[in-house]
Amino acid sequence: MSCAIEVKDLTYAYPDGTPALQGVSFGAEQGEVTGILGSNGAGKSTLFLNLNGVLTPQGGQVLLDGEPVSYARRNLPELRRRVGLVFQDPDDQLFSADVYRDISFGAVNLGLPETEVRRRVEDAMTRTGVSALRDKPTHALSYGQKKRVAIAGVLVMEPSVMILDEPTAGLDPQGVSGIMSLLRDIRKSLGVTIILATHDMDIVPLYCDRVYLLSGGRMAAQGTPEEVFRRPELLRENHLRLPRIAHLMEILRDRDGVDVNRGAATISAARQEILRLLDGER
Amino acid sequence: MGTDRCAYLSRLRRVDPIPKVWFALAALLICVLSDSLGVGLFTLAALSALNLALGGQRAGDLLRFLKIPLAFLVIGCLTIAIRPIGEAEALWAFRLLGRWNWGITAENLRLSLLVCGKAMGAVSAVYFLSMNTPMTDLTLALERLHVPKLFVELTELIYRFIFLLAGEAGRIRTAQESRLGYQGFRRSLGSMGELLSTVFVRSLRRGERVFSALESRGYTGTLTTLPGQYVPGRWLYGLAAATAACQLLILLAERRLLP
Repeated sequence: MSCAIEVKDLTYAYPDGTPALQGVSFGAEQGEVTGILGSNGAGKSTLFLNLNGVLTPQGGQVLLDGEPVSYARRNLPELRRRVGLVFQDPDDQLFSADVYRDISFGAVNLGLPETEVRRRVEDAMTRTGVSALRDKPTHALSYGQKKRVAIAGVLVMEPSVMILDEPTAGLDPQGVSGIMSLLRDIRKSLGVTIILATHDMDIVPLYCDRVYLLSGGRMAAQGTPEEVFRRPELLRENHLRLPRIAHLMEILRDRDGVDVNRGAATISAARQEILRLLDGER
Repeated sequence: MGTDRCAYLSRLRRVDPIPKVWFALAALLICVLSDSLGVGLFTLAALSALNLALGGQRAGDLLRFLKIPLAFLVIGCLTIAIRPIGEAEALWAFRLLGRWNWGITAENLRLSLLVCGKAMGAVSAVYFLSMNTPMTDLTLALERLHVPKLFVELTELIYRFIFLLAGEAGRIRTAQESRLGYQGFRRSLGSMGELLSTVFVRSLRRGERVFSALESRGYTGTLTTLPGQYVPGRWLYGLAAATAACQLLILLAERRLLP
Protein backbone atom coordinates (compact mmCIF):
# COMPACT_ATOMS: atom_id res chain seq x y z
CA MET A 1 0.00 0.00 0.00
CA SER A 2 1.14 3.55 -0.59
CA CYS A 3 0.50 6.58 1.54
CA ALA A 4 -1.72 9.18 -0.11
CA ILE A 5 -0.54 11.65 2.47
CA GLU A 6 2.31 11.26 4.88
CA VAL A 7 3.38 13.67 7.59
CA LYS A 8 6.83 13.64 9.13
CA ASP A 9 7.74 15.53 12.32
CA LEU A 10 5.35 18.37 11.66
CA THR A 11 5.70 21.29 14.07
CA TYR A 12 3.59 24.39 14.39
CA ALA A 13 3.33 27.10 17.03
CA TYR A 14 0.75 29.87 17.13
CA PRO A 15 1.95 33.44 16.55
CA ASP A 16 1.88 34.04 20.33
CA GLY A 17 4.39 31.20 20.78
CA THR A 18 2.00 28.52 22.09
CA PRO A 19 3.18 25.24 20.62
CA ALA A 20 0.30 23.38 18.96
CA LEU A 21 2.03 20.57 17.04
CA GLN A 22 5.30 19.17 18.36
CA GLY A 23 6.52 16.68 15.82
CA VAL A 24 3.43 14.97 14.48
CA SER A 25 4.04 11.99 12.20
CA PHE A 26 1.37 9.91 10.56
CA GLY A 27 0.30 8.47 7.25
CA ALA A 28 -3.02 7.85 5.54
CA GLU A 29 -3.11 4.94 3.09
CA GLN A 30 -4.54 5.49 -0.38
CA GLY A 31 -8.30 4.88 -0.35
CA GLU A 32 -8.58 4.18 3.38
CA VAL A 33 -10.39 5.98 6.17
CA THR A 34 -7.97 7.22 8.80
CA GLY A 35 -9.33 8.44 12.12
CA ILE A 36 -7.57 11.03 14.23
CA LEU A 37 -8.68 10.78 17.85
CA GLY A 38 -7.89 13.41 20.40
CA SER A 39 -9.45 15.49 23.14
CA ASN A 40 -10.42 19.11 22.68
CA GLY A 41 -7.30 21.20 22.20
CA ALA A 42 -5.13 18.26 21.18
CA GLY A 43 -4.29 20.05 17.96
CA LYS A 44 -6.53 18.26 15.44
CA SER A 45 -7.88 21.39 13.77
CA THR A 46 -4.43 22.99 13.65
CA LEU A 47 -3.02 19.86 12.06
CA PHE A 48 -5.72 19.91 9.38
CA LEU A 49 -5.20 23.58 8.58
CA ASN A 50 -1.50 22.79 8.11
CA LEU A 51 -2.22 19.91 5.75
CA ASN A 52 -4.38 22.10 3.54
CA GLY A 53 -1.99 25.04 3.48
CA VAL A 54 -4.13 27.55 5.38
CA LEU A 55 -1.37 27.45 8.00
CA THR A 56 2.27 26.85 7.08
CA PRO A 57 4.19 24.26 9.11
CA GLN A 58 7.27 25.57 10.87
CA GLY A 59 9.09 22.29 10.72
CA GLY A 60 8.83 18.81 9.27
CA GLN A 61 7.53 17.59 5.99
CA VAL A 62 4.28 16.66 4.28
CA LEU A 63 4.35 14.17 1.41
CA LEU A 64 1.50 13.80 -1.07
CA ASP A 65 1.76 10.56 -3.07
CA GLY A 66 5.37 10.39 -1.96
CA GLU A 67 6.25 13.89 -3.23
CA PRO A 68 7.23 16.54 -0.68
CA VAL A 69 4.73 19.40 -0.58
CA SER A 70 5.95 22.93 -1.15
CA TYR A 71 4.19 25.65 0.81
CA ALA A 72 5.37 28.31 -1.63
CA ARG A 73 2.61 30.75 -2.47
CA ARG A 74 2.20 29.66 -6.06
CA ASN A 75 1.88 26.04 -5.02
CA LEU A 76 -0.94 26.60 -2.52
CA PRO A 77 -3.87 26.41 -4.99
CA GLU A 78 -2.71 22.97 -6.11
CA LEU A 79 -2.28 21.82 -2.50
CA ARG A 80 -5.79 23.04 -1.62
CA ARG A 81 -7.22 21.29 -4.64
CA ARG A 82 -5.62 17.96 -3.73
CA VAL A 83 -6.35 18.13 -0.01
CA GLY A 84 -9.96 19.14 0.64
CA LEU A 85 -11.00 20.32 4.08
CA VAL A 86 -14.54 20.12 5.49
CA PHE A 87 -14.93 22.28 8.57
CA GLN A 88 -16.76 21.20 11.68
CA ASP A 89 -19.39 23.92 11.59
CA PRO A 90 -20.98 24.13 8.13
CA ASP A 91 -22.07 27.67 8.94
CA ASP A 92 -18.39 28.62 8.89
CA GLN A 93 -17.90 27.09 5.50
CA LEU A 94 -21.03 28.09 3.60
CA PHE A 95 -20.58 31.77 2.82
CA SER A 96 -23.26 32.12 0.16
CA ALA A 97 -26.98 32.14 0.74
CA ASP A 98 -27.39 30.24 -2.52
CA VAL A 99 -26.66 26.51 -2.33
CA TYR A 100 -25.64 26.11 -5.98
CA ARG A 101 -23.34 29.13 -5.94
CA ASP A 102 -21.67 28.03 -2.72
CA ILE A 103 -20.89 24.59 -4.10
CA SER A 104 -19.48 26.13 -7.30
CA PHE A 105 -16.98 28.34 -5.41
CA GLY A 106 -14.05 25.89 -5.21
CA ALA A 107 -14.42 24.81 -8.84
CA VAL A 108 -14.60 28.43 -10.04
CA ASN A 109 -11.42 29.17 -8.09
CA LEU A 110 -9.64 26.41 -10.01
CA GLY A 111 -10.25 28.43 -13.16
CA LEU A 112 -12.27 25.67 -14.87
CA PRO A 113 -14.52 26.41 -17.86
CA GLU A 114 -18.19 26.95 -17.09
CA THR A 115 -19.43 23.64 -18.51
CA GLU A 116 -16.91 21.73 -16.38
CA VAL A 117 -17.89 23.69 -13.25
CA ARG A 118 -21.56 22.89 -13.90
CA ARG A 119 -20.80 19.21 -14.48
CA ARG A 120 -18.87 19.01 -11.22
CA VAL A 121 -21.51 20.88 -9.22
CA GLU A 122 -24.25 18.59 -10.52
CA ASP A 123 -22.11 15.54 -9.82
CA ALA A 124 -21.27 16.67 -6.27
CA MET A 125 -24.93 17.49 -5.57
CA THR A 126 -26.03 14.05 -6.77
CA ARG A 127 -23.39 12.25 -4.73
CA THR A 128 -24.22 14.13 -1.54
CA GLY A 129 -27.97 13.99 -2.13
CA VAL A 130 -28.61 17.72 -2.09
CA SER A 131 -29.92 18.18 -5.65
CA ALA A 132 -33.40 18.85 -4.30
CA LEU A 133 -32.09 21.70 -2.14
CA ARG A 134 -30.78 23.82 -5.00
CA ASP A 135 -33.70 26.26 -4.89
CA LYS A 136 -33.52 26.79 -1.15
CA PRO A 137 -31.49 29.46 0.61
CA THR A 138 -28.69 28.22 2.87
CA HIS A 139 -30.36 29.59 5.99
CA ALA A 140 -33.43 27.42 5.40
CA LEU A 141 -31.45 24.15 5.50
CA SER A 142 -31.16 21.83 8.48
CA TYR A 143 -27.77 21.28 10.10
CA GLY A 144 -27.33 17.90 8.42
CA GLN A 145 -28.28 19.32 5.03
CA LYS A 146 -25.75 22.12 5.47
CA LYS A 147 -23.12 19.54 6.27
CA ARG A 148 -23.86 17.71 3.02
CA VAL A 149 -23.67 20.95 1.07
CA ALA A 150 -20.31 21.68 2.72
CA ILE A 151 -19.03 18.25 1.63
CA ALA A 152 -20.31 18.89 -1.91
CA GLY A 153 -18.44 22.20 -1.91
CA VAL A 154 -15.20 20.31 -1.31
CA LEU A 155 -15.98 17.45 -3.71
CA VAL A 156 -16.20 19.85 -6.69
CA MET A 157 -12.47 20.39 -6.36
CA GLU A 158 -12.03 16.61 -6.89
CA PRO A 159 -9.52 16.19 -4.08
CA SER A 160 -7.46 13.06 -3.66
CA VAL A 161 -7.53 13.44 0.13
CA MET A 162 -10.58 14.70 2.02
CA ILE A 163 -10.20 15.79 5.62
CA LEU A 164 -13.27 16.16 7.80
CA ASP A 165 -13.20 17.83 11.20
CA GLU A 166 -15.79 16.18 13.46
CA PRO A 167 -18.15 15.19 10.63
CA THR A 168 -20.75 13.75 13.00
CA ALA A 169 -20.82 16.49 15.66
CA GLY A 170 -24.26 17.95 16.20
CA LEU A 171 -26.12 15.37 14.12
CA ASP A 172 -28.90 13.09 15.30
CA PRO A 173 -28.20 9.32 15.22
CA GLN A 174 -29.72 8.83 11.77
CA GLY A 175 -27.87 11.90 10.53
CA VAL A 176 -24.64 10.33 11.75
CA SER A 177 -25.17 7.10 9.86
CA GLY A 178 -26.32 9.08 6.82
CA ILE A 179 -23.14 11.15 6.70
CA MET A 180 -20.91 8.16 7.42
CA SER A 181 -22.43 6.03 4.68
CA LEU A 182 -22.12 9.00 2.34
CA LEU A 183 -18.39 9.10 3.13
CA ARG A 184 -18.15 5.38 2.54
CA ASP A 185 -19.80 5.79 -0.88
CA ILE A 186 -17.44 8.62 -1.78
CA ARG A 187 -14.45 6.53 -0.84
CA LYS A 188 -15.71 3.54 -2.76
CA SER A 189 -16.73 5.34 -5.95
CA LEU A 190 -14.04 8.00 -6.14
CA GLY A 191 -11.21 6.31 -4.26
CA VAL A 192 -10.77 9.40 -2.13
CA THR A 193 -8.55 8.98 0.91
CA ILE A 194 -10.48 10.15 3.95
CA ILE A 195 -9.09 11.52 7.20
CA LEU A 196 -11.53 12.36 9.94
CA ALA A 197 -11.21 13.77 13.41
CA THR A 198 -13.77 12.56 15.86
CA HIS A 199 -14.81 12.20 19.48
CA ASP A 200 -17.53 9.76 18.57
CA MET A 201 -15.81 6.55 19.65
CA ASP A 202 -18.61 4.27 18.54
CA ILE A 203 -18.20 5.13 14.86
CA VAL A 204 -14.45 4.51 14.91
CA PRO A 205 -14.50 0.68 14.73
CA LEU A 206 -17.28 0.81 12.13
CA TYR A 207 -15.74 3.19 9.63
CA CYS A 208 -12.01 3.65 10.28
CA ASP A 209 -9.34 1.38 8.83
CA ARG A 210 -6.62 2.92 10.93
CA VAL A 211 -6.55 5.35 13.84
CA TYR A 212 -4.08 7.72 15.41
CA LEU A 213 -4.32 9.22 18.86
CA LEU A 214 -3.20 12.83 18.96
CA SER A 215 -2.20 14.08 22.38
CA GLY A 216 -0.46 17.30 23.33
CA GLY A 217 0.68 17.96 19.77
CA ARG A 218 2.12 14.45 19.23
CA MET A 219 0.82 11.10 18.06
CA ALA A 220 0.51 9.03 21.23
CA ALA A 221 -0.68 5.81 19.60
CA GLN A 222 -1.51 4.32 16.25
CA GLY A 223 -2.83 1.13 14.77
CA THR A 224 -6.02 -0.52 13.68
CA PRO A 225 -9.03 0.40 15.84
CA GLU A 226 -8.78 -3.03 17.48
CA GLU A 227 -5.15 -2.46 18.44
CA VAL A 228 -5.83 0.97 19.91
CA PHE A 229 -8.85 -0.29 21.86
CA ARG A 230 -6.62 -2.82 23.59
CA ARG A 231 -5.07 0.15 25.41
CA PRO A 232 -8.05 1.71 27.18
CA GLU A 233 -5.90 3.44 29.81
CA LEU A 234 -4.27 5.54 27.07
CA LEU A 235 -7.66 6.61 25.73
CA ARG A 236 -8.84 7.55 29.22
CA GLU A 237 -5.73 9.61 29.90
CA ASN A 238 -6.72 11.59 26.83
CA HIS A 239 -10.31 12.28 27.94
CA LEU A 240 -11.62 9.69 25.52
CA ARG A 241 -13.27 6.36 26.19
CA LEU A 242 -13.69 2.93 24.67
CA PRO A 243 -16.61 2.28 22.35
CA ARG A 244 -19.51 0.95 24.47
CA ILE A 245 -19.16 -2.57 23.14
CA ALA A 246 -15.38 -2.66 23.72
CA HIS A 247 -16.03 -1.39 27.26
CA LEU A 248 -18.44 -4.25 27.82
CA MET A 249 -15.78 -6.69 26.58
CA GLU A 250 -13.23 -5.13 28.93
CA ILE A 251 -15.54 -5.57 31.93
CA LEU A 252 -16.41 -9.14 30.96
CA ARG A 253 -12.76 -10.01 30.68
CA ASP A 254 -11.28 -8.13 33.65
CA ARG A 255 -14.06 -8.36 36.24
CA ASP A 256 -15.94 -11.47 35.27
CA GLY A 257 -13.00 -13.47 33.99
CA VAL A 258 -14.74 -14.37 30.72
CA ASP A 259 -12.40 -15.23 27.88
CA VAL A 260 -13.48 -12.62 25.30
CA ASN A 261 -11.48 -10.66 22.76
CA ARG A 262 -11.23 -7.15 24.15
CA GLY A 263 -10.64 -5.76 20.69
CA ALA A 264 -14.24 -6.59 19.72
CA ALA A 265 -15.77 -3.14 19.42
CA THR A 266 -18.70 -3.48 17.06
CA ILE A 267 -22.01 -5.24 17.36
CA SER A 268 -21.01 -7.84 14.78
CA ALA A 269 -17.68 -8.54 16.51
CA ALA A 270 -19.46 -8.87 19.86
CA ARG A 271 -22.03 -11.19 18.31
CA GLN A 272 -19.24 -13.43 17.04
CA GLU A 273 -17.64 -13.51 20.49
CA ILE A 274 -20.92 -14.39 22.15
CA LEU A 275 -21.66 -17.14 19.65
CA ARG A 276 -18.14 -18.50 20.11
CA LEU A 277 -18.58 -18.61 23.88
CA LEU A 278 -21.98 -20.29 23.57
CA ASP A 279 -20.50 -22.86 21.21
CA GLY A 280 -17.77 -23.62 23.73
CA GLU A 281 -20.39 -24.30 26.42
CA ARG A 282 -22.39 -26.71 24.33
CA MET B 1 -37.45 38.76 5.64
CA GLY B 2 -41.00 38.24 4.42
CA THR B 3 -40.67 39.17 0.75
CA ASP B 4 -37.54 37.07 0.48
CA ARG B 5 -39.34 33.93 1.58
CA CYS B 6 -41.92 34.51 -1.18
CA ALA B 7 -39.13 34.93 -3.72
CA TYR B 8 -37.87 31.38 -3.22
CA LEU B 9 -41.35 30.03 -3.98
CA SER B 10 -42.04 32.36 -6.90
CA ARG B 11 -42.75 30.97 -10.34
CA LEU B 12 -40.27 33.52 -11.67
CA ARG B 13 -37.57 32.23 -9.27
CA ARG B 14 -35.41 30.80 -12.06
CA VAL B 15 -35.89 33.66 -14.51
CA ASP B 16 -32.79 35.71 -15.24
CA PRO B 17 -32.79 38.55 -12.68
CA ILE B 18 -31.62 41.29 -15.05
CA PRO B 19 -34.83 41.55 -17.11
CA LYS B 20 -36.75 41.53 -13.84
CA VAL B 21 -34.66 44.43 -12.55
CA TRP B 22 -35.15 46.46 -15.74
CA PHE B 23 -38.87 45.71 -15.88
CA ALA B 24 -39.46 46.82 -12.28
CA LEU B 25 -37.13 49.80 -12.64
CA ALA B 26 -38.80 51.06 -15.83
CA ALA B 27 -42.28 50.84 -14.31
CA LEU B 28 -41.03 52.55 -11.15
CA LEU B 29 -39.28 55.41 -12.93
CA ILE B 30 -42.18 56.21 -15.25
CA CYS B 31 -44.56 56.06 -12.30
CA VAL B 32 -42.47 58.46 -10.23
CA LEU B 33 -41.51 60.85 -13.02
CA SER B 34 -44.92 61.16 -14.67
CA ASP B 35 -46.39 62.95 -11.66
CA SER B 36 -49.89 61.66 -12.22
CA LEU B 37 -52.40 59.97 -9.95
CA GLY B 38 -53.76 57.91 -12.83
CA VAL B 39 -50.36 56.48 -13.72
CA GLY B 40 -49.67 55.73 -10.06
CA LEU B 41 -52.92 53.83 -9.64
CA PHE B 42 -52.40 52.00 -12.93
CA THR B 43 -48.87 50.96 -11.91
CA LEU B 44 -50.19 49.77 -8.56
CA ALA B 45 -52.94 47.71 -10.20
CA ALA B 46 -50.88 46.39 -13.11
CA LEU B 47 -47.75 45.35 -11.20
CA SER B 48 -49.74 43.84 -8.37
CA ALA B 49 -51.79 41.84 -10.87
CA LEU B 50 -48.62 40.70 -12.69
CA ASN B 51 -47.04 39.83 -9.37
CA LEU B 52 -49.96 37.51 -8.60
CA ALA B 53 -50.41 36.17 -12.13
CA LEU B 54 -46.79 35.65 -13.18
CA GLY B 55 -45.12 35.09 -9.83
CA GLY B 56 -47.93 32.95 -8.46
CA GLN B 57 -47.91 34.88 -5.19
CA ARG B 58 -50.87 34.74 -2.86
CA ALA B 59 -53.04 37.86 -2.80
CA GLY B 60 -53.07 37.77 1.01
CA ASP B 61 -49.27 37.98 1.16
CA LEU B 62 -49.14 40.89 -1.27
CA LEU B 63 -51.86 42.82 0.60
CA ARG B 64 -50.02 42.26 3.86
CA PHE B 65 -46.83 43.70 2.37
CA LEU B 66 -48.66 46.61 0.71
CA LYS B 67 -50.21 47.55 4.06
CA ILE B 68 -46.79 48.19 5.62
CA PRO B 69 -45.89 51.33 3.62
CA LEU B 70 -49.55 52.34 3.47
CA ALA B 71 -49.59 53.08 7.20
CA PHE B 72 -46.70 55.56 6.84
CA LEU B 73 -48.15 57.00 3.65
CA VAL B 74 -51.55 57.72 5.15
CA ILE B 75 -49.97 59.72 7.97
CA GLY B 76 -47.70 61.54 5.53
CA CYS B 77 -50.50 62.35 3.12
CA LEU B 78 -52.82 63.57 5.87
CA THR B 79 -50.22 66.17 6.81
CA ILE B 80 -50.09 67.27 3.18
CA ALA B 81 -53.88 67.45 2.93
CA ILE B 82 -54.56 69.21 6.22
CA ARG B 83 -52.45 72.36 6.52
CA PRO B 84 -52.70 76.05 7.36
CA ILE B 85 -54.62 77.52 4.43
CA GLY B 86 -54.87 81.24 5.22
CA GLU B 87 -57.91 82.71 3.50
CA ALA B 88 -58.01 80.25 0.60
CA GLU B 89 -61.26 78.57 -0.31
CA ALA B 90 -61.47 75.34 1.68
CA LEU B 91 -63.38 72.12 1.29
CA TRP B 92 -63.29 71.80 5.02
CA ALA B 93 -61.66 74.05 7.61
CA PHE B 94 -61.30 74.63 11.30
CA ARG B 95 -59.62 77.19 13.56
CA LEU B 96 -56.56 75.83 15.35
CA LEU B 97 -56.46 77.20 18.94
CA GLY B 98 -58.95 79.83 17.77
CA ARG B 99 -56.34 81.71 15.72
CA TRP B 100 -55.00 79.82 12.68
CA ASN B 101 -57.15 78.75 9.83
CA TRP B 102 -56.41 75.10 8.98
CA GLY B 103 -58.16 72.86 6.51
CA ILE B 104 -58.24 71.00 3.23
CA THR B 105 -58.21 72.83 -0.08
CA ALA B 106 -58.93 71.16 -3.40
CA GLU B 107 -55.32 71.71 -4.44
CA ASN B 108 -53.86 70.17 -1.29
CA LEU B 109 -56.22 67.20 -1.53
CA ARG B 110 -55.15 66.62 -5.14
CA LEU B 111 -51.50 66.82 -4.10
CA SER B 112 -51.85 64.39 -1.23
CA LEU B 113 -53.71 61.84 -3.37
CA LEU B 114 -51.03 62.24 -6.04
CA VAL B 115 -48.22 61.55 -3.58
CA CYS B 116 -50.07 58.57 -2.17
CA GLY B 117 -50.84 57.09 -5.60
CA LYS B 118 -47.33 57.63 -6.91
CA ALA B 119 -45.74 56.10 -3.84
CA MET B 120 -47.98 53.03 -3.87
CA GLY B 121 -47.30 52.54 -7.58
CA ALA B 122 -43.57 52.68 -6.93
CA VAL B 123 -43.88 50.31 -3.97
CA SER B 124 -45.78 47.77 -6.04
CA ALA B 125 -42.98 47.83 -8.63
CA VAL B 126 -40.40 47.21 -5.90
CA TYR B 127 -42.51 44.37 -4.52
CA PHE B 128 -42.76 42.82 -7.96
CA LEU B 129 -38.97 42.65 -8.00
CA SER B 130 -38.37 41.60 -4.41
CA MET B 131 -41.17 39.02 -4.20
CA ASN B 132 -39.91 37.25 -7.32
CA THR B 133 -36.13 37.61 -7.06
CA PRO B 134 -34.14 36.01 -4.23
CA MET B 135 -31.58 38.32 -2.67
CA THR B 136 -28.66 36.28 -4.05
CA ASP B 137 -29.96 36.71 -7.61
CA LEU B 138 -30.42 40.40 -7.03
CA THR B 139 -26.84 40.89 -5.86
CA LEU B 140 -25.65 38.86 -8.83
CA ALA B 141 -27.66 41.11 -11.15
CA LEU B 142 -26.05 44.14 -9.51
CA GLU B 143 -22.65 42.64 -10.18
CA ARG B 144 -23.50 42.06 -13.83
CA LEU B 145 -24.70 45.65 -14.02
CA HIS B 146 -21.19 46.72 -12.93
CA VAL B 147 -21.93 47.78 -9.37
CA PRO B 148 -18.53 47.69 -7.54
CA LYS B 149 -17.61 44.15 -6.54
CA LEU B 150 -16.69 45.10 -2.98
CA PHE B 151 -20.17 46.45 -2.39
CA VAL B 152 -21.82 43.38 -3.92
CA GLU B 153 -19.71 40.90 -1.94
CA LEU B 154 -20.33 42.74 1.31
CA THR B 155 -24.06 42.68 0.63
CA GLU B 156 -23.93 38.94 -0.01
CA LEU B 157 -21.93 38.17 3.12
CA ILE B 158 -24.13 40.39 5.27
CA TYR B 159 -27.23 38.72 3.88
CA ARG B 160 -25.81 35.26 4.58
CA PHE B 161 -24.59 35.93 8.09
CA ILE B 162 -27.35 38.19 9.34
CA PHE B 163 -29.53 35.11 9.80
CA LEU B 164 -26.85 33.40 11.88
CA LEU B 165 -26.27 36.50 14.01
CA ALA B 166 -29.99 37.02 14.51
CA GLY B 167 -30.36 33.39 15.55
CA GLU B 168 -27.46 33.67 17.94
CA ALA B 169 -28.77 36.90 19.45
CA GLY B 170 -32.19 35.27 19.86
CA ARG B 171 -30.71 32.30 21.73
CA ILE B 172 -28.66 34.56 24.00
CA ARG B 173 -31.76 36.64 24.73
CA THR B 174 -33.75 33.53 25.63
CA ALA B 175 -30.93 32.37 27.90
CA GLN B 176 -30.85 35.77 29.60
CA GLU B 177 -34.61 35.90 29.96
CA SER B 178 -34.69 32.44 31.49
CA ARG B 179 -32.48 33.86 34.23
CA LEU B 180 -34.65 36.98 34.66
CA GLY B 181 -32.25 39.24 32.77
CA TYR B 182 -34.91 41.59 31.48
CA GLN B 183 -36.81 42.55 34.62
CA GLY B 184 -36.79 46.27 35.07
CA PHE B 185 -35.35 48.99 32.87
CA ARG B 186 -31.83 49.11 34.32
CA ARG B 187 -31.33 45.38 34.20
CA SER B 188 -32.69 45.24 30.67
CA LEU B 189 -30.17 47.81 29.54
CA GLY B 190 -27.32 45.89 31.15
CA SER B 191 -28.43 42.57 29.64
CA MET B 192 -28.89 44.15 26.23
CA GLY B 193 -25.36 45.58 26.39
CA GLU B 194 -23.90 42.20 27.25
CA LEU B 195 -25.89 40.57 24.47
CA LEU B 196 -24.53 43.03 21.92
CA SER B 197 -20.92 42.67 23.04
CA THR B 198 -21.17 38.87 23.03
CA VAL B 199 -22.66 38.82 19.54
CA PHE B 200 -19.91 41.18 18.38
CA VAL B 201 -17.08 39.07 19.80
CA ARG B 202 -18.59 35.88 18.45
CA SER B 203 -18.98 37.33 14.99
CA LEU B 204 -15.34 38.41 15.02
CA ARG B 205 -14.30 34.84 15.81
CA ARG B 206 -16.67 33.46 13.22
CA GLY B 207 -15.19 35.87 10.70
CA GLU B 208 -11.77 34.33 11.28
CA ARG B 209 -13.10 30.82 10.81
CA VAL B 210 -15.03 31.78 7.69
CA PHE B 211 -11.86 33.28 6.25
CA SER B 212 -9.91 30.07 6.93
CA ALA B 213 -12.66 28.06 5.26
CA LEU B 214 -12.62 30.34 2.23
CA GLU B 215 -8.85 30.03 1.96
CA SER B 216 -9.03 26.26 2.15
CA ARG B 217 -11.29 26.32 -0.92
CA GLY B 218 -8.83 28.42 -2.91
CA TYR B 219 -10.06 31.96 -2.15
CA THR B 220 -8.08 34.39 -4.27
CA GLY B 221 -9.54 37.69 -3.17
CA THR B 222 -12.94 37.58 -4.86
CA LEU B 223 -16.02 35.58 -4.02
CA THR B 224 -16.68 34.55 -7.60
CA THR B 225 -19.26 31.81 -7.98
CA LEU B 226 -21.37 30.37 -10.74
CA PRO B 227 -25.14 30.70 -10.36
CA GLY B 228 -27.58 27.97 -11.30
CA GLN B 229 -28.83 28.18 -14.86
CA TYR B 230 -31.48 30.84 -15.41
CA VAL B 231 -34.48 30.72 -17.69
CA PRO B 232 -33.97 33.59 -20.13
CA GLY B 233 -36.43 36.40 -19.43
CA ARG B 234 -36.36 38.44 -22.63
CA TRP B 235 -40.15 38.37 -22.79
CA LEU B 236 -40.08 40.62 -19.73
CA TYR B 237 -38.64 43.39 -21.92
CA GLY B 238 -41.76 43.15 -24.11
CA LEU B 239 -43.89 43.30 -21.01
CA ALA B 240 -41.90 46.31 -19.81
CA ALA B 241 -42.54 48.09 -23.13
CA ALA B 242 -46.26 47.29 -22.99
CA THR B 243 -46.52 48.53 -19.40
CA ALA B 244 -44.61 51.69 -20.24
CA ALA B 245 -46.90 52.32 -23.24
CA CYS B 246 -50.00 51.99 -21.05
CA GLN B 247 -48.47 54.27 -18.42
CA LEU B 248 -47.65 56.94 -21.01
CA LEU B 249 -51.10 56.68 -22.66
CA ILE B 250 -52.76 57.26 -19.29
CA LEU B 251 -50.44 60.19 -18.67
CA LEU B 252 -51.29 61.75 -22.02
CA ALA B 253 -55.00 61.16 -21.52
CA GLU B 254 -54.86 62.77 -18.11
CA ARG B 255 -53.08 65.82 -19.50
CA ARG B 256 -55.76 65.93 -22.24
CA LEU B 257 -53.17 65.71 -24.95
CA LEU B 258 -55.10 62.99 -26.70
CA PRO B 259 -58.12 63.84 -28.83
